[in-house]
Amino acid sequence: YQKKNTVTEHVTGDMLNEHIHICISETENISLLDIPSTLVSVEADDAETILERNRRYAEVACRNRMGRDNYMDQAVQTLNGAAKNKQTQSDGVVMVDTATTVTNWDLYNTWIRPEQHEAVCSPEPERVDGPAASLKASRGSEMSVSVGSTASTGNSEGRDALLLLNAESDLQWIKLSEKFQDCVRLMEKTVLRNTFQPKFAAYRHLPILEDADQQVESGKVDVKEDTKGPHPALECLWAFSCELTRGRSVSSMALNKKNPDLLAVGYGEFDSSNQKPGLVCCWSFKNPMWPDHVIHCDSTVTSLDFSSNNPSQLAVGMLNGVITIYNVQNQNSKSSSQCYRKHLGPVWQIRWIQQQLRLTGEEKVEALISAAEDGRISKWFLSNNGLDCTDLMKLRKDIHTKKKTTENKTEERTEIVLSALTPGLSLDFHPTDSSIYLVGTGEGLIHKCSSSNSQQFLETYWKHFCPVTCVSWSPLSPDVFLSCSSDWTIHLWRQDHFCPVLSFTSTHRAVYDIKWSPKWATVFGVISEGQMQIWDLNSSILDPIIVQSAGPGETMTSLLFPSQTDCVLVGDSDGQVTVYQLHNLQRESNQVKLRDKRIPSMVLPLFTSL
Amino acid sequence: MTIEETLKRIEAHKGVIGTIVVNEEGIPIRTTLDNSTAVLYAGLLRHLTMKARSTVRDIDPQNDLTFLRIRSKKHEILVAPDNDFLLIVIQNPCE
Repeated sequence: YQKKNTVTEHVTGDMLNEHIHICISETENISLLDIPSTLVSVEADDAETILERNRRYAEVACRNRMGRDNYMDQAVQTLNGAAKNKQTQSDGVVMVDTATTVTNWDLYNTWIRPEQHEAVCSPEPERVDGPAASLKASRGSEMSVSVGSTASTGNSEGRDALLLLNAESDLQWIKLSEKFQDCVRLMEKTVLRNTFQPKFAAYRHLPILEDADQQVESGKVDVKEDTKGPHPALECLWAFSCELTRGRSVSSMALNKKNPDLLAVGYGEFDSSNQKPGLVCCWSFKNPMWPDHVIHCDSTVTSLDFSSNNPSQLAVGMLNGVITIYNVQNQNSKSSSQCYRKHLGPVWQIRWIQQQLRLTGEEKVEALISAAEDGRISKWFLSNNGLDCTDLMKLRKDIHTKKKTTENKTEERTEIVLSALTPGLSLDFHPTDSSIYLVGTGEGLIHKCSSSNSQQFLETYWKHFCPVTCVSWSPLSPDVFLSCSSDWTIHLWRQDHFCPVLSFTSTHRAVYDIKWSPKWATVFGVISEGQMQIWDLNSSILDPIIVQSAGPGETMTSLLFPSQTDCVLVGDSDGQVTVYQLHNLQRESNQVKLRDKRIPSMVLPLFTSL
Repeated sequence: MTIEETLKRIEAHKGVIGTIVVNEEGIPIRTTLDNSTAVLYAGLLRHLTMKARSTVRDIDPQNDLTFLRIRSKKHEILVAPDNDFLLIVIQNPCE
């Protein structure tokens, strides 16, 4: 009992008007008794004892219920909070049905190429959709319902306009796509192949497929019969020509070393009255209608060659003395026009040659060698601003006079004074020993030189008295070479003889080009003014076995034998490169029938090395 | 050498009846045939190309379809597919 000390304050009127703030807050919960219920699993170890205890407790409570105050059953209700209804609304969940067929490539795409997963063609929907309805599902689920319609006429106008807009932009985008370019090129070649299949097959020694639905044309049969006779014959397969090349003259041809289906053809006029800028076209043997690449050059192209080490590099020599290396895969090019030691006259022949380094003996380094009007044989290499060269040889005029007959002593003296350089018109490297090469000069001499000796010629062969237009080593007989000249003659030489072993004259015209066949050891082709001749020394050494005359107003200018085929490519002055197939040469590989009496005994020793 | 020039050369070639360029939605965007024929070819060939590509890739997932040719009595249908589009050329090789 506590006495309360209360202080009564006198309540004033002001106090009654005062605002008194009263804060009401909950105190913390004070737990008076907290016995959490314990739960024991029925399967626990001591479950039985607990159950027993529970049972005894219940008995005690029940037995002593009546009249006892200790235990009372009492129910307690927890407080239920007041319930309140609250409504909420959400956007309907859009459901879209998708189905997919799991395929091998689908799994592959997902695991191996996850970044391209979206780009790959979409999985097959199970419904057949018409073209207009096959838009992506994101454009609206209502469009996925139409089934089997193949015409877009039933769609609304608005959608048509949208599709048209998309179509135009697609067209623009597609035109720039590189893949589409490849597609279109592939299509072009396939379309052409349908038409040209017999020709292409003949070129590659493949069987010619008979078109089952084609009506047999009786006219065609006659042409074939000409070539089936016993005589050697030429069959014209097709001609590479397009409007870009019409009217230009073919000056040189070269096949790619890695891809034998790629042919580079250089075009240009040689007479200065008709100077058009030169052109190089890279033709594919699968497309005779249009070249794969077109390269415009500053000046007439006189010679070209593909590299072996870098097969996409094409070296081009031109009439103004400039040599340029083009890359046919991209637009790079390197030119020698800034080099102060460049050629001053037309580059007549250009060659890539693989030479072994003496130190290592293993590597094949490739060098670009050129022969030009200014009498220099130069070796080119890349430098900072283009190409630079070193001279392998200067073609001097005075050396050969010592080999002339001694009657012309007065001439000798005057010749020595003029030590001018004579133009180098043709160049060919020995097929097995890449340091030996032959040069045909404008004086009619052929020099055998070595790339290690730049002062002296190894040998000089003198028989022609007009410029030597072409020299060519035989690819199959190692010591034999041919030379041809404007003096109407062709000479067959052996490396160690200073007189030609054989001479051929067939027409009274200048001979421009000569090439050995890579397949047959005794066959070579000759281009002279207005004619292409095929000679076979096994059959006759007096006359060519096949003569093909050029059309009226045209002359033939260039010749090439592709390897592994029995065809020959002939370029003419109208810009056409015609592919002819040789038939009935009665030859297998490069075997020469040594017992055949038709071979003159002089020729035999040439070919005994086979 | 642009695509346009190459396409024109193809169209001018002997025996070619028509060409169709189809975009990824199956709509012909450039064609030399009339619209209804183009839409017909585009729709049908698209499904066939997808099936053909699916077949090729099912056999070997690293492989892919590069070209499809259907030779019929009257002419030949050449299809050059790509991921996004289709180039269809109809040619009569006998002509």
